[in-house]
Amino acid sequence: MGGNVIDPGTAAWILFGGFFGMLALRVPVAVALGLACLPPLLIEDRLWPMILVQETFNAYNSFILLAVPFFLLAANLMTIGGITDRLIRLSRALVGHLPGSLAQINVVLSIFFAGISGSSTADAASQGKMFIEAQRREGYDVSFSVAITAVSAVLAAIIPPSIMMIVWGGVLTVSIGGLFLAGVIPGLLLGLVQMATVHAYAKARGYPTYGKATWGEFGSALFVSVPALMTPFIIIGGKIFGWFTATEAACIAVLYAMILSVIVYREMNLKGLWTAFSETGRFAAITLFCVGTASAFGWLLAFYKIPDALLSGVSAWEMGPILTGFFIAGVFLVVGCFLDAIPAIIIVGTILQPVAEAAGMHPIHFAMVGIVSLAFGLVTPPYGLCLLISCAVAGVRVMDVLKDTCIMLLPMLGVLALLILWPDVALFLPRLLEPDFLK
Amino acid sequence: MPQPGARGFLRRMSFLYSRVLDLLLVLTVAIIIVPVTMQIFARFTDIVPRYIWTEELSRFLLVWMIMIGSMIGVREGTHFTVDLFPVLRGRIKAAMDILAGLFVLAMAVVFLWWGWEFTDTAWFRISELAELPLWTIHMAWPIAGLTWIIFQGERMWDDLQVLIHGEREQP
Repeated sequence: MGGNVIDPGTAAWILFGGFFGMLALRVPVAVALGLACLPPLLIEDRLWPMILVQETFNAYNSFILLAVPFFLLAANLMTIGGITDRLIRLSRALVGHLPGSLAQINVVLSIFFAGISGSSTADAASQGKMFIEAQRREGYDVSFSVAITAVSAVLAAIIPPSIMMIVWGGVLTVSIGGLFLAGVIPGLLLGLVQMATVHAYAKARGYPTYGKATWGEFGSALFVSVPALMTPFIIIGGKIFGWFTATEAACIAVLYAMILSVIVYREMNLKGLWTAFSETGRFAAITLFCVGTASAFGWLLAFYKIPDALLSGVSAWEMGPILTGFFIAGVFLVVGCFLDAIPAIIIVGTILQPVAEAAGMHPIHFAMVGIVSLAFGLVTPPYGLCLLISCAVAGVRVMDVLKDTCIMLLPMLGVLALLILWPDVALFLPRLLEPDFLK
Repeated sequence: MPQPGARGFLRRMSFLYSRVLDLLLVLTVAIIIVPVTMQIFARFTDIVPRYIWTEELSRFLLVWMIMIGSMIGVREGTHFTVDLFPVLRGRIKAAMDILAGLFVLAMAVVFLWWGWEFTDTAWFRISELAELPLWTIHMAWPIAGLTWIIFQGERMWDDLQVLIHGEREQP
């Protein structure tokens, strides 16, 4: 290491020690990441703290990240503009006759929502308000209701479009269109597994079941939902056929949601529009702000070549692709408990990428293992945003819903294992539709 | 609660300031849509000319949106934290919040000091495509730093009151 004042080992201790130490003191994640960079920036002769500002600027000055507020805005417009109500009606007609009707509808709506919005937290927040109280009134246990709302919200990160995929694709230079296609089958599998879990719960606990919808009801529910259901095809189609970039696709989603809610369904007023913009701005900003300081943190890790040092240990284990897959999933699952997905991708994703490459994992397969594991992190405490949001909406403590959440996660971990053992779960669709993405 | 004198005045000012930021945040989110939409339409139709600056303008608006949102986040205490002990209350919570707040203040000072240096490098530079003066974007950092200090200072002042007098509605 030519001429650095601090050696990589000490630098790693300062960076990670500082970061985790500050986290333990309840310092915001973004601030902890930024301040941990300060000692090396002050000590090193060749560095100075303006780099922290410069690096955050470079991170925000990115056209790809612009997709994050757009997808959030699309989701908010959908909820406020009455699009979600139509989708509930359709879900009711589709799965209302299965045991545990309302909870099944909860899961199916999450699948629809996931195809439109790229944000799990938007899903958890909006569906928490809609379902938890309604389920409680129908005699569902509160912990079950909170857990299924949180767990089904995870699908939004895996079924395209997904903010996580856009960030992953941007940071690790993987085709975002390819990731979108790769997410479809794992996402649907997870949804199916969740419906089976609800079925088992409903049978065991005797949760209420609705009558079967007639074909007429189904037809009219489908008819009013068709415009909303077109959204995923417009977004994903446009991205895959190369008509627009991920950010432009997200912008199209916003315009489409606006047209639907203002002109077609006519349930949007100025106040609703204001709320949608303001909530989007707030949430997108605090999420993306983390990305900036995380980038500075990652820049310093790279400056001291810390990932290389960490990796030299791991590569020596000589794991095959499958074992590497499980190792990667394990790391992301643990990291996901403590860190938001976006900084986790920037910090840990970049560290693990060479490991996956050395083991011969396909970049898209590696990405899907990482994204699914990180998505599970949305419901694992202490830092599981979807779980925290659902708990906050229901007014219960995280500890009270932990058991049901863990039970629901078990079959989902099974899907993750399947994805690791059998890469085609992710790679089948991209190979079928757009072989170019697999280059 | 209304407070007399200078403190009440400062509080009203900071509230007003936060309303202005709120408005600016909504405006940035609304305006960002315009250049990106123009960019898409310019590619597929002839309605709008193919301006070269749309991409850069939308990026700069994103920068401002993030920085304004981060200021509001400090005021509302919504920046993500990892809460290991979620049931803190009263004086202990106030003390812990003040401790964490000191770090936020440190970050604010970094943004103010070196953000100013950052702006200082950009007085006479313009952006590559839109040819906007770069200082108008770099300026977001010192402004954010100053605003963070105001809002975080206000929160810490409130916590200090709790620390000294105890929480009012404590059972």
